[in-house]
Amino acid sequence: MELEDVKKLANLARIDMSDEEMKDIAKDFGAILAYVGQVQEVSKLKNIESLHQNPDNYFLQNVMREDVSENKSGKYTDRILANAPDTQDGFLKVKQIL
Amino acid sequence: MNIDLRSLTIEKAHEHFLNGDFTVRELVDEYLKVIKEKNERINAYLEIYSDIDDQVKKAEDMFKNGTATPLTGVPIALKDIILFEGHIASASSKILENYVATYDSFVVEKYKKEGVVFLGRTNMDEFAMGSSTETSAYGVTRNPFDESRVPGGSSGGSAAALAADMSLASLGTETCGSVRQPSSFCGLVGLRTTYGSVSRSGVIPMGSSLDQVGPMGKNVRDVEILFNAMVGYDPKDSTSIPDEMRNIEKNPIKKRIAVPREFLNSEGVDKEVLKNFEESCEKLKKAGYEVVDVDLPVLKYSLAFYYIIMPAEVSSNLARYDGIRYGLSVKGDNLLDVYMKSRRQGFGKEARRRILLGTYILSHGYYDAYYNTALKVRQVIKDDLFNLFKDFDAFITPTAPFPPFKLGEKMDNPISMYLSDIFSAPANLADIPSISLPSGKTESGLPLAIQLTAPFLREDILFTIGKDFEKLIY
Repeated sequence: MELEDVKKLANLARIDMSDEEMKDIAKDFGAILAYVGQVQEVSKLKNIESLHQNPDNYFLQNVMREDVSENKSGKYTDRILANAPDTQDGFLKVKQIL
Repeated sequence: MNIDLRSLTIEKAHEHFLNGDFTVRELVDEYLKVIKEKNERINAYLEIYSDIDDQVKKAEDMFKNGTATPLTGVPIALKDIILFEGHIASASSKILENYVATYDSFVVEKYKKEGVVFLGRTNMDEFAMGSSTETSAYGVTRNPFDESRVPGGSSGGSAAALAADMSLASLGTETCGSVRQPSSFCGLVGLRTTYGSVSRSGVIPMGSSLDQVGPMGKNVRDVEILFNAMVGYDPKDSTSIPDEMRNIEKNPIKKRIAVPREFLNSEGVDKEVLKNFEESCEKLKKAGYEVVDVDLPVLKYSLAFYYIIMPAEVSSNLARYDGIRYGLSVKGDNLLDVYMKSRRQGFGKEARRRILLGTYILSHGYYDAYYNTALKVRQVIKDDLFNLFKDFDAFITPTAPFPPFKLGEKMDNPISMYLSDIFSAPANLADIPSISLPSGKTESGLPLAIQLTAPFLREDILFTIGKDFEKLIY
């Protein structure tokens, strides 16, 4: 993997990274991707195409619930905001976005 | 007061409490004494909770008014990833250094009702990403059997605390071997529970299709008690198994155990580990089990699939840490800058590596080749094991391919570290339970272990075989 590719991934993942670390990652990824590439061998070993026919065979099912609030309004507000880096009038405060 | 902590078990402690041989207070004080003596060196605990006195009082009240259960007053170490209301849970990461849990996890809520005493939170690999507890932002944990070696991971602090008599039982979590492998490295019994058997509500996630809470104990009976007290349906976890499914009639035990022979020949399996494994199989035969070689070629690929599915889920799960709502926040010129800087300073190297790997795996053009293929092959593993269990109660392997290794030995080679979990992966990928059992020591005195993996919701099989095996070891 090239350094430019790692830079792109770091940006997508929203992580500021030093060039040195990105070079290390590019190197590590070569070994890791070669290792996980074995997955292709198995897909040849077994007829996994039959699983294509019915995705329910391999995807977890969604379990839905009613979209209702179970807690009284404000019950956790103070505790949750106590963890926030910056707040104002009961809201989270962030940098201007527009 | 002098209590022999080494030989103490949950059942024995309960009897002593009932007989009035010692009180919860006295037992907890004994553990706190050992912690004071050993923790600075071992670094199993990151924090000893400040409200132990209240917990002790509650437990003693339960004995006074006759509502005590086998877990009442039992001093327990809690992995730093399981939320305990009002206490810090940092996942051993800088990004959650000061994060205070706003609610109890399902497991803590259940254990509070039993009146356990949580002594403190234990060190772990950052966000449970590692097999040696060396990726923690708060220093390494040492193996009590040999302080120059790792305790395993990611639940290494929980394992080391129990092995060094700094707790009577410990809780860990597993995404792939993080309870079993440190249990193996520290001479303990560790259980990876059936996916969906224990709610993950309030457990900081890593790979959500794999994560489970699991107990560590000194013997199988302790682990069984710990397990029975943590299971149950929870609507707050959409993967929680409904109670009616848990109560289906169970097939009787066949006394047949499978050995996936080809899997054992994986690269890098230590000779002493293999020798001990063969001896353990002989012991099981003497106990009346049929131990039979089987052909399961797909197992040796498990870890490779795991290293596709897990980073993909990591990259999604760790997207929530952005320096806005909680956790470390680094000032920046604009909102994006806050994210980028907070995540740079907040995450350690292994977390950053896995987030990027997952981002790559899930990116357009690679998603099908990696993630989708891995999901399908995961189903192949499930099917093959389902078929195997028609004829067998369980399959057996060593827990880890090698004994505890030296601190720092594998930190520069991610693949070699990842291979610690080669025998762990099938259970996590197939959603099934698996137990690590102490099986002896190396010539130099390091703990070794075997691992048994059973069908969905059949922890009972693991406890039965485990108790039979235990009798042959001691």
